[in-house]
Amino acid sequence: MLVHLQGPWTPVLGRLTLQQIPYENPILLGTFTFVAVLAIAILAATTYFGKWEYLWREWLTTVDHKKIGVMYCLLGLIMLFRGFIDALMIRTQQAIAVGHEAPGYMGAVHGYLTPFHLGQIFTAHGLIMVVFAATPLLVGIMNIIVPLQIGARDMAYPYLNALGLWLTTAGAALVMVSLFIGNFAHGGWYGFVPYFELPYSPGVGVDYWIWTFQLSAIGTSLGSINLIATIVKMRAPGMTWMRLPIFTWASLSTNLIALTSFPVLMVSLALLALDRYVGTHFYTAGMGGNLMLYSDLFWVWGHPEVYFLILPAFGMMSEIIPTFSEKPLFGYATMVIASFAIGGVSWGVWLHHFFTMAASPSVNSFYSVTTMLVGIPTGVKVFNWVFTMYRGRVRYELPMLWALLALFLLLVGGMTGMMNAFASSDYMWHNGLFVVAHFHMMVLVIAASVFGAVEYWFPKVFGFKLEQKWGKWFFWFMILGTGWTFVPMFLLGFAGMTRRLDYIPYMQWSPYLHVMLVGMVFYVLAVCFFVAHLYVSLRDRVSNRAGADAWGTGRSLEWMTHSPVPAYNYAFIPHINVLDEWAWRKENGLTELHAGDYEGIHMPKNTGIPLFLGMLFMGLGFALIWRIWWLALLCVALIVGLIILRSFDRDTDMTIPAHEVERVERGARDETPATARSAGMPGGAVTAHSALRPGTDGIGGGTTSTNPSWAPMDR
Amino acid sequence: MTEHTQNPLNHPEVQLANGRAYLVSFILSMLLTTAGLWLAITHITTPFGTVLVTSFLAGAVVVIQGYFILHMDISHAQIWHTVAMVLFLPLFVVTIGLTAWMFHGLYQRTMLMPPGASDMAQMSHPPHERTPS
Repeated sequence: MLVHLQGPWTPVLGRLTLQQIPYENPILLGTFTFVAVLAIAILAATTYFGKWEYLWREWLTTVDHKKIGVMYCLLGLIMLFRGFIDALMIRTQQAIAVGHEAPGYMGAVHGYLTPFHLGQIFTAHGLIMVVFAATPLLVGIMNIIVPLQIGARDMAYPYLNALGLWLTTAGAALVMVSLFIGNFAHGGWYGFVPYFELPYSPGVGVDYWIWTFQLSAIGTSLGSINLIATIVKMRAPGMTWMRLPIFTWASLSTNLIALTSFPVLMVSLALLALDRYVGTHFYTAGMGGNLMLYSDLFWVWGHPEVYFLILPAFGMMSEIIPTFSEKPLFGYATMVIASFAIGGVSWGVWLHHFFTMAASPSVNSFYSVTTMLVGIPTGVKVFNWVFTMYRGRVRYELPMLWALLALFLLLVGGMTGMMNAFASSDYMWHNGLFVVAHFHMMVLVIAASVFGAVEYWFPKVFGFKLEQKWGKWFFWFMILGTGWTFVPMFLLGFAGMTRRLDYIPYMQWSPYLHVMLVGMVFYVLAVCFFVAHLYVSLRDRVSNRAGADAWGTGRSLEWMTHSPVPAYNYAFIPHINVLDEWAWRKENGLTELHAGDYEGIHMPKNTGIPLFLGMLFMGLGFALIWRIWWLALLCVALIVGLIILRSFDRDTDMTIPAHEVERVERGARDETPATARSAGMPGGAVTAHSALRPGTDGIGGGTTSTNPSWAPMDR
Repeated sequence: MTEHTQNPLNHPEVQLANGRAYLVSFILSMLLTTAGLWLAITHITTPFGTVLVTSFLAGAVVVIQGYFILHMDISHAQIWHTVAMVLFLPLFVVTIGLTAWMFHGLYQRTMLMPPGASDMAQMSHPPHERTPS
């Protein structure tokens, strides 16, 4: 039943042999040394400072949506860095390998990367940036913010939430493993058939790609189920649909997209896996298979996926812009409708990824029109943001700067997207750099929104603001890098350069490629400034401490609880009276956070099972990649066993006693400083602060109990 | 999530869980899937007939699993299943329908092959329609 493989296979190690370790490649050897030293340093530091118990109790076994969200964001940031290094290598290779006299190093004819190596890099760059950087960052921020915005104490399924995190992490870890054991797919992140079929890609690279992709798809689907259930079922009393904060609306729309589209990805990848493992013919060019069926199925997921990525970014912009314009969001209802219109249209546009398939002209026209339709709700959103700023008191703090950059990039990306919507034009530049530059504009909208959201909600999660100086250097160098990299890329697109070239035959493209390299230098400096930004913020955290309403003009519910947020989010579930509840309360003088008379709070208990399931799924993925059947069976048996074990565990929740809640709440102090500006405008600045009261042990509480600390640490 | 003790059996959708129904659904689904596989392997009918019958069998499996496993009905307790179904149907129609539309006639435009060169060409067109190249 199993297909015949080229190369050796042993029952114990499957296809794994010593030759699969690329120790002769200096780049990978250097990377491995770097990673190993870093890992040893981290492990040693954890042991030296005695933090293993803390790590296990507070993070690895946690089911707290805020900590899970923070870990999602950390994962996203690490993978963003990896994807950036990939981008750096692609750009340097293309800048060197121009013209037939270009020098070659390290086994490459031109440049320093062989085509096989470069192929793996651009595949990994695409896959990592889409599913292991952008998705975890967005899911992480939704995880933290959505329950806070709707007045819930946790997600609907805290255990499932942790499971989603660890499955996604398992996928990301496998991508990293592919650097040092075996190789990665080398045909582009979305795969091509029949190129990805076993006869044409006999190595393990495509198998790595299949199973890492599958793991992230399962993780994201679980997360979407959780967020939908949370938003639908766990809103605070009084929070009717039209009082829902706009970011929560965006999250609902985006997770509906995820829930309905990710299964299609799983099926399309599973069919390819069947082709490769048991020799079926779903996508082969003969035997009744159809190779365009793969493109079709993949993009049935793929296009909804890009709106899955952009909608939370729009939601973040819609939260940041009103706060820093000191005005309510303009056109709330139209914003909600536009979010769902984008979500709905996302299901009818996927053919524009393969206009050149030679579908009939009527089909191509249909998909051109549906693609252009996306511009209408997006345009509504742009005008709503602009009208929100119009006659507002705009403050150019860091979150607002990022939101404005996102708005500008959205205009560039959106306009070029409209150009791509024409099937006739697409025949000219299909697979060209113009398309690549367009979608990089759009993913930079996401990146800018995410950086804005991190700046914006950081004080809510950690209790202190990030500093402004290095953050602004980071911001401006990101702009410089974006301009210098992507303006030449648009021009090269006009010149007809196609994507994924390992060698560029035309000397006249050389200047543009070198200008892009300058852009990459700006990006590298931006990364350095980002590190400085984080370091200085952490060092000066005491002076940057923020209160409940960190920016003074917050409008939605999350600004109503302490910063950082206690484990139970709200000592009392608030009753919601209006849209923009917190702004309304500030206007009406209802900002008191200490009602007294606390009750015990029912919360889920920590569990290590999701972490172990994640490890086992990683083992299963590794076994399937290398076709080590005994290991695969063992992992499946252990996974099923653990799931059964967990389902018979009745002791899954606990009650935080009332006196503990009171102790935590008393540790936070709220005040209205005398310097607060008067609330002249709706939602103006009556500021409530919560800060540490001297003499209490902070809102840290004891850490000797086996329970996690319910109050946030005094970080 | 205030302090409460909930008995899962108080939930109507939990009461609907039924080991026998799961088993019946599993056996029926396996039988129908095997029948579909057998039809496809033995080429007992025309290609179009095979597609038709396997589609019918697949539809039957969907109905059986929806009824026995998801307990789809229009009672109030199952309203979320109904809502999910109503939201899902248009997507199903859009994806399958539009895919059928974009693939309709694709081979005539792309797979110009000499007679008998490809199994796929034989499957998609009767011999007299094939375009000589």
